[in-house]
Amino acid sequence: MLTNTDVMKFLAVWELLHESADEALKAGIARGEDTTQGEMNADKGAFVDGLAAMVNARKDILKAELAAGSDESLEKDEGPAAEAVAELRFEVAELRGRLESMNATLDALATKL
Amino acid sequence: MGSRRRHIFWVITKRWWRAVYLARFGIISATRRREIFARQLREAFEELGPAFIKLGQLISIRPDMFPPEYVFEMEHLRDEVAATPFEMVRPVIERDFGHSLDELFNTFDTTPIGSASIAQVYQATLQVDYTPVIGDSLPAGTKLAIKVIRPGSEETIKADIAVITPLVNRLSRIKRLARFGLSQLLSEFADSLASECDLRIEGRTSDRFAFDFADDPYVTTAAIVWPLTSRHVLTMKFIEGWHLDQAKEAEAAGVDARFLAMYGANVFMKQVMVLGRFHADLHQSNLLMTPDGRICYIDFGITGEVREEDKEAIAQVLAATVYADAKRAIDYSAALGLVVSDEKTDEVTARVAELMSRTFSVTPRDVRGFAIGFLSIMNEQKVSVPRGFGLLIKALVVVEGCAQMVYSDIDIVDAAKEFTTTLVLKHMLQPARLYARIPRAVDAAIAELIG
Repeated sequence: MLTNTDVMKFLAVWELLHESADEALKAGIARGEDTTQGEMNADKGAFVDGLAAMVNARKDILKAELAAGSDESLEKDEGPAAEAVAELRFEVAELRGRLESMNATLDALATKL
Repeated sequence: MGSRRRHIFWVITKRWWRAVYLARFGIISATRRREIFARQLREAFEELGPAFIKLGQLISIRPDMFPPEYVFEMEHLRDEVAATPFEMVRPVIERDFGHSLDELFNTFDTTPIGSASIAQVYQATLQVDYTPVIGDSLPAGTKLAIKVIRPGSEETIKADIAVITPLVNRLSRIKRLARFGLSQLLSEFADSLASECDLRIEGRTSDRFAFDFADDPYVTTAAIVWPLTSRHVLTMKFIEGWHLDQAKEAEAAGVDARFLAMYGANVFMKQVMVLGRFHADLHQSNLLMTPDGRICYIDFGITGEVREEDKEAIAQVLAATVYADAKRAIDYSAALGLVVSDEKTDEVTARVAELMSRTFSVTPRDVRGFAIGFLSIMNEQKVSVPRGFGLLIKALVVVEGCAQMVYSDIDIVDAAKEFTTTLVLKHMLQPARLYARIPRAVDAAIAELIG
């Protein structure tokens, strides 16, 4: 039968696991930040540390953006519908450009008639 | 035409004999010999004028067809010719628009600011407000750059092509030269020339680039003024700025030139691996650093395209190269059409790994040295390099050259690392891909747990 002690022990193990993972991640980030040019290629461990540092740097940018009240990376992610609208708008504008050029050529031909 | 044929024959023969002499009649190493012949060919092209300069430029973007020594030598071709007098250029503009220059522009400076084999560039100002396809409206009085096809240039080049076609066809029958596909190159040359002489195509490519980077705060291009653009005339906003070798001046004005040079590598990666189309003619005069801290791309005469299905393989090859993983680079290159036969795989992989350790162990990493070495290995091993792959390698070297023109210690591999890594991770984390890998991951986890 599951006792209160068991539950507490399970939660303690769970917390310890997170704490260890957190410390390992922080140590990895610190090592990654100390990586100099070329060292990130040294081995798989160095690569993971370097990657952790890159993700951490991105996290800091995100935190700063959220604190400033504007998350650019989220604002830009407007989904495929918005992309399709922007693409269509561009095509219409491009068509306008082509027509303007053709109109200029037509005018030039008309002056020769 | 007879005298022109004799002149071409004379120049080529003269340069060939000179190369033979400088190469000590063939007793020096093959690489050095190719370098000498390539240099003499480049000088012959410069001597023979526009058609040959354009042909050389085409060779410079075809590492899939020519040995690397020729490809990289043709980069040094100087496309500078004496300006055609303005009185011959004026009718081209006035004929295309049916109005006098005074009616078309507010002001027009008749002294060209640039003169190349196909076109000349002038400065003018806009007469009425205009809203371009992309970007802010241009008020009347805005400074403009007017690119005009030189009268007769297209015809002169076509006449030269007609002269050299029989010669090239004859050369193509020689067994040693057959693999260069000279006839095919000439036909591609005629096609690219037709496209380069229609400036509306360049204008549309420029607009597309502007749209693709509309959200990017560090990238810009010159807005096209379409009512003043025709087949022979391209009118765009004049961009003030500094060339890549003017980093000190740009920095004195508050521009972060080092950042822009590094950022340029990421812009290139985005063009290739996300957008699937890239500026394939980057050089000193096609890039500017603007006073508002952006990189401005101009002159979209030559562009490359990447097929949708190739984007991931390119990302993987670049990531493998960035992390100096030769085996992975060769494996993923097969998906791009660079197929190394089974019996050669071990040798090619070992040689590429040795090349990577040699060229990437220096600071900054030597991408150019790697590219030349890689193409030489493929050339020696008779592994054919697909056109897109060759163009990509060449473009990567050019990106490095541009960045290092700003600061010679810039390492574009480092600059591109975050972008390629993120992109490969994005590909790896696609739900369908993860789902397909779950059984293998579970097997591996069980094996690890059981020990």
